[in-house]
Amino acid sequence: MLSALGNPRQAAAQLMNFGLILSTAFMMWKGLSVISDSPSPIVVVLSGSMEPAFQRGDLLLLWNRNLFTETSVGEVVVYNVKDKDIPIVHRVISKFGTGFVLLRRRPTAKLLTKGDNNDSDDTKLYAPGQNYLVREDIIGSVVGYMPFVGYVTIMLSEHPWMKTVMLGIMGLVVVLQRE
Amino acid sequence: MASQEKITIYNLADLKNTTDDAIPNYLTSLKFTPSHLLTDVRLTLGFSAFALSAACFAWDYKFGFESTKTYTAFAVALYTVLNGFLTFWILYVEKGTIYQGTSPKGDKIRISTETKKNIPVYYMTVEIKDGKTGEKKTLKISKSFTEWFDAAGRFVAAPLQTVLAQGVEVIGKVDIKRAAAKATKTEGEPVPAAAVYTPEMLDMLSGAGVSVVGSAAETATGTETAEAKKGGKRRKN
Repeated sequence: MLSALGNPRQAAAQLMNFGLILSTAFMMWKGLSVISDSPSPIVVVLSGSMEPAFQRGDLLLLWNRNLFTETSVGEVVVYNVKDKDIPIVHRVISKFGTGFVLLRRRPTAKLLTKGDNNDSDDTKLYAPGQNYLVREDIIGSVVGYMPFVGYVTIMLSEHPWMKTVMLGIMGLVVVLQRE
Repeated sequence: MASQEKITIYNLADLKNTTDDAIPNYLTSLKFTPSHLLTDVRLTLGFSAFALSAACFAWDYKFGFESTKTYTAFAVALYTVLNGFLTFWILYVEKGTIYQGTSPKGDKIRISTETKKNIPVYYMTVEIKDGKTGEKKTLKISKSFTEWFDAAGRFVAAPLQTVLAQGVEVIGKVDIKRAAAKATKTEGEPVPAAAVYTPEMLDMLSGAGVSVVGSAAETATGTETAEAKKGGKRRKN
């Protein structure tokens, strides 16, 4: 395959094929992101705080648009604590007020969340001084899930040496295929 | 580029790609002028789509998702259109074309090729437009890959060039030497399986009479048979 590099057009075409694979994958992710209006439409459950509903390693599909109803009590939502990058998957247990769009002086609803498997609500998880969430903090409600699939991501981030091993194996496969 | 590189003779894609690469080289060596229009359009489409996605990645990384949502939405839509057009171009306009160009005598030629799954035959469709009369002709040539690949997987250029020079007059007019050369195999039909084996093997096979060509074949005729039968891998004896 590499032998065709003598011709610049052919080299450009090979490069283009490789580049298009990467860019199509990226655009599919962004497309899903735009359709669901969530910066991260697919997340992996990192803790056991939602057991028995969701286990560590489950893959969740999120939807961030309120087309028919507002975010209500009982929905499982994913939110980021202010200024932290860790998504937390918990259930909305109480809601004070209505409305979720900041229009003039119309108040927006205040939401309180709690993990199913936790003893207490999330007040201690929020930023200091923050006692409730608003709709903007939420990056999506869970509309679907695939069990166990995300465990690979967890393993890779908790055991970084596995990334090296995986790259090594992939490299070996490529080299052996040339023969 | 040494054609002493061996490819796997069982891999149809390898056979086709090697042959597809060899034909433009041959025609260029005969001073045909290639037309790069098809390739250039494909490259432009592909690279613009890639550039668009790179830009999308950049603004998303720099400014975050929320503020660039609308741009991203447009980028995804435009990317889908570009990619769709690229796929359409490859499937319906290029249609397997591996060479398009003009002969030194002014005739236009376009060669497209295909293979069918699990059949080791190379199907070529050659479209000719005569330089002087403007008359168009389409030729279909199908030959087994065994005509220009040896049992070990090495590509031999001469038989392929002969096939083209004798099958297509436009090429034959320019390459007099190959057009006059003796055809190496019978034309038209796929080569029968027997022609793949070496003469020693055929003698031994007809002598033995038994259908199973097992270890007796290997020990009797040595490594050559092993090589032909096992596709290039030598068996340790």
